[in-house]
Amino acid sequence: MKKLLTFALAAAMTLSLASCGGDSKTPVGSNNNNTPASTSGSQTGGDVSGLPEIEAGSCTTPAILTSIGQSADVEIVGTLCSKAGIEVTLDNAITAEDLPADCKTLILAVGGSSKGLGAAGIDADGELARTDALLKKAADQGVTIVAMHTGGSARRGTLSDSFITPSFAAANIAIVVSEGDSDGMMAGILAGNSTPSAYVEQVADCIATLKTLFGVA
Amino acid sequence: MKKTYMTGIAVTLAAAIIAGIAGMNFYAKRHFVEDIKTGPNVTEVFKLSRYNENLAGTIADTDVYVLKGEKEGGSLLLLGGTHPSEPAGHMAAIVFEENVKVEQGTVYVIPNINNSAFTHNDPLDGSPQYMHFTTKNGETRTFHYGSRATNPIDQWPDPDIYTHTSGQTLSGSETRNLNRCYPGVKDGTISEQVGYAVTNMINTLEIDMEIDMHESSPEYAVNNATVAHERAMTIASEGVLDLQLEGIKMSLEPSPVSLHGLTHRELGDFTKTYALLMEVGNPVQGRLRGYTDEKLCLTGEDPCYVIAYDLNLLYVDYSTGNFPMELRVGRHLAGVNAYINAFNNNSDKQIVVSGIPPYNEIVNGNLGDYLL
Repeated sequence: MKKLLTFALAAAMTLSLASCGGDSKTPVGSNNNNTPASTSGSQTGGDVSGLPEIEAGSCTTPAILTSIGQSADVEIVGTLCSKAGIEVTLDNAITAEDLPADCKTLILAVGGSSKGLGAAGIDADGELARTDALLKKAADQGVTIVAMHTGGSARRGTLSDSFITPSFAAANIAIVVSEGDSDGMMAGILAGNSTPSAYVEQVADCIATLKTLFGVA
Repeated sequence: MKKTYMTGIAVTLAAAIIAGIAGMNFYAKRHFVEDIKTGPNVTEVFKLSRYNENLAGTIADTDVYVLKGEKEGGSLLLLGGTHPSEPAGHMAAIVFEENVKVEQGTVYVIPNINNSAFTHNDPLDGSPQYMHFTTKNGETRTFHYGSRATNPIDQWPDPDIYTHTSGQTLSGSETRNLNRCYPGVKDGTISEQVGYAVTNMINTLEIDMEIDMHESSPEYAVNNATVAHERAMTIASEGVLDLQLEGIKMSLEPSPVSLHGLTHRELGDFTKTYALLMEVGNPVQGRLRGYTDEKLCLTGEDPCYVIAYDLNLLYVDYSTGNFPMELRVGRHLAGVNAYINAFNNNSDKQIVVSGIPPYNEIVNGNLGDYLL
């Protein structure tokens, strides 16, 4: 028994020498609690064949662009609008009270980011409450609501899906990068409301769709 | 009694032999000089201590490679090796420095920004100590696979709680994580001194854009992603779109304003630079990995990750069953190229470079082909 104990102690001492380089593994830039994407790598979208097509010139300015879920996809959509030659006012956290009376189009960049929510100083419940109030006010004002999901499968999961549901249910028009809807979740909501929709293969394809929507030559 | 003494002596000797072998291994790692060659278009190499004299003569006084174009223009700082356990950033910086020519503007490349952390690894994680690449000439070049944190030989002991200069508190070991030490302290810990030198260098040279190249475990949410300071969002979003047009998936994340010490937060706040950080998957870092060795680092071939991918547990595409270094370095270099182009679209200053290995070439080739 003593021999065994002595050997165990010596081994422990030796192994402790080898542990001098060990350290904890805090994730890089970690404060993101997104759940894993529900799809990975699939390019297959849901069944979108029955969805009404979008009509050219169905949107007008002044247009407000906001984030639903505070992901940086709102910056991507802003860049897409800029490249399409559409002037939009970007307000990440616009509230129902702040929605201008002359606003004609409200573009929603939908996708959740816990990094972004933290940066905006709001939690998911607060963001959902802002969303619900904003969408109700926009509908009351007759504003055309355009829901865009450009983040693909990386912008799916529990957090993002909680923002997708109310945004796409309230949308008058939807633009979706197909790879992010391989389970057909968005297509199902849009089909239920017969929402005119455009499914595109790549984010950059949104530029042409936005031009069509706003009647930009 | 005599027998007990003899047993004790034998066990002690055995422990000493094992410790001696381990010690020699650690010593060799500590003193190994990496095989980084100065590229033909490098116009100057200087020590980081130029921007914090306290680093002079220390292991942390790393090399800064300068690629200055003939025409004046914008400037870019590339950081590799913030976490030496994330080798794609390190290798991307080396490939850039050894291959690229800057026609206009200036690019500063630091492949080993936390040089101390290259001098040890994480043996209890089974991580390799070195990586080997064969060049076109048949030469084998050897590089460190290091640790996430500064070597405790250079910075020890860790406090129970690490209090950042902002007042943010983290676990004590984070005091040796360079990417929690920005904007740095001139006479602080050696990690803080490095952070200060980088901040001071950017301010002094008025560097326009900074890109910090990292890796993360495939099951971590911020993967195949760029994290950008809010002032850099326009450049980042344009770059992400360009990458997606090339078929390279890249998501964009905002730099959290309340998470301190990271390059994308503090260099954005304490300098005028556009601060960006890129992440790509590295299976050696992941907790779902199987057998861990140099091969896993270089090829990413891991049956455990294939299973995890099939179970939808990953944030990277593991459908090919591997995640090779060429893909990871290629993504970083494609990102650097895209963000340079986006910077040029949004600035009066221009950075014009040639010789960045194209993404498709590097992904379908061997990384060694791009080493001198």
